[in-house]
Amino acid sequence: MQAELAIGLPAAGSLCATVLRARPRAAFAAGAVLGVLGLVAIVLATPGRPSDQLGITLSLSPESRALLIAAAAALALVVALAPLLVERATLLRWGLAGLAGMAAIATATSIEIIVLVLLVLAVLQAAAAGKRSFAIRLRGPVLAVAVLALAAAFARNDGPPILSRLAAVGLVAGLSAALGTLPYVHEFDPEERTSTSPIPWIAFIGPVLALAVLTQARELVPSDSGAFGAMLVGLGLINMVWGSLASWRTEGGAAAWHYSFMADWGLALCGFGVAIADGRRAALLVLLGMLLSRLPLYLWSRQSLRDKRPNDRPINLLAAAMLAGSAPFAGFAARVLLLRGATQVYWPLALVIGLGLLLWLPPSLRLGRSLGLPRGRQAWGIGIALTANVVIGLYPQPFLSLAGL
Amino acid sequence: MSEVAAFAAWFGAAVIVLSDGRRGLALGLAVTTAAFTVLALVGGHAVAAAVLAFGGGFAAVQRSRTGPDVWGLMPPGSTPRLVLSIAGGLLALWISTTLMTGPGAPLRFAALSVIGLMGARALIEDADPNAVLTAIAALALSVAIAAGLAGTGAAPAPYVVAAVIAIGVALIRVRDTDAG
Repeated sequence: MQAELAIGLPAAGSLCATVLRARPRAAFAAGAVLGVLGLVAIVLATPGRPSDQLGITLSLSPESRALLIAAAAALALVVALAPLLVERATLLRWGLAGLAGMAAIATATSIEIIVLVLLVLAVLQAAAAGKRSFAIRLRGPVLAVAVLALAAAFARNDGPPILSRLAAVGLVAGLSAALGTLPYVHEFDPEERTSTSPIPWIAFIGPVLALAVLTQARELVPSDSGAFGAMLVGLGLINMVWGSLASWRTEGGAAAWHYSFMADWGLALCGFGVAIADGRRAALLVLLGMLLSRLPLYLWSRQSLRDKRPNDRPINLLAAAMLAGSAPFAGFAARVLLLRGATQVYWPLALVIGLGLLLWLPPSLRLGRSLGLPRGRQAWGIGIALTANVVIGLYPQPFLSLAGL
Repeated sequence: MSEVAAFAAWFGAAVIVLSDGRRGLALGLAVTTAAFTVLALVGGHAVAAAVLAFGGGFAAVQRSRTGPDVWGLMPPGSTPRLVLSIAGGLLALWISTTLMTGPGAPLRFAALSVIGLMGARALIEDADPNAVLTAIAALALSVAIAAGLAGTGAAPAPYVVAAVIAIGVALIRVRDTDAG
């Protein structure tokens, strides 16, 4: 029953917060209580044990559970320490809706249910008031749904081997379109609210969605796992280089953060692509770092970016070090694992990835400076995000064990 | 029977691609829904057929009440959409009958053509929100019908979720400021 509750309680919390939005305190209290109960249900869920209480078979994998817990923790962190100009109840409402969708995606046992939930999330996000037009906001996710559904249809039919190859291409392309990585970068408006921007796709929903799609891909295209992995590595390298260079050279500060998420996805995709335990461990650490540190830091940098007040204090340099993946932060452990995994598979790949990692430094310094001079809630939040990242970097094994790796 | 239904599904999707008015969009969605219902019935999935008919039917009726009260079929400049509809249909036909083997070609053709055309409809530049919502409803129904290809066609979950999506998007009112 925990899987059903993991979906239902955050959804109910989001619904309550929406119904009570005229009374923000009541909306916040109802959303918070149901959200915490949803988190408890996720924590207590037994990984791998199917549940069929509502006529739909649901099953939560250990990796998905770890990412869901991280996403819920990130949501709690940004809601508790939300910037002064951001309404907590609104942030919580959107976050809980996303969390419910992520739980549904994580527990779904078929690709069709995953893409249908993806469609629901896309419509919900696009229906809210935002800077970009309705059709433009739906473009990436709807393309992802169509391509993933076609890929599943190709994989499930008998025919020549090219069908399976096309299915593998479709799965990678669909995943990329859903996340908003190259070659399907979602249109980004720096003035748009975070909840209606492409950031939730690439930084909040993306990690769980990617894991779910990759898990399904193993069953759909078992004979083409090599080609599938190679495509992930190729896409990862492109995103790594493009994301870090664009994050460094682009004019807008918010756009630089958007590209930095793409660069991190490059690392994660390479990790998933090398298809050995070290690669998966590296990808999981990158995604944990994205959820628990990079996403909250992005939210706390928004006001400073609007005020154009960059700063070079030690806290900014520490944040830059974390974003660059230097020791002792989680990114460093992830990079070591990824290089070790790539060396086992094909050593020139490790060389290419190693060179690509050098590109993280200039944009990270820029992003660290963009946090400005943190004060009050923002300072507390950045401190907590840095501490969490150091803990994961120094002691990654408990987090990897939670994910069954 | 299933062959006729498969072509009707493609025809309905093509009408959605070619229409900008509420009557055309509603007609396209109604035809696609009816075709999917027949395909599900032919496959022996009565519950799935009933769920699809209800969800798609509700969405089509609701669509006929929202948006500009015109047919809007093939407005000026719609030649690329016409080419897309025909080429998409032919490509889906070739893939489902020649490239793919085994029984169930009508179901494959219906699913592939509608998924492809609805994905393309949502990508059209400056698309009207009502047209995009109609495409999403048909896309959801086609994803559910494609689940039948997995041999799990009797499981009602994808059909129920798709019907809920079709009903949900039919009830959504996109604010004018969002329509860009």
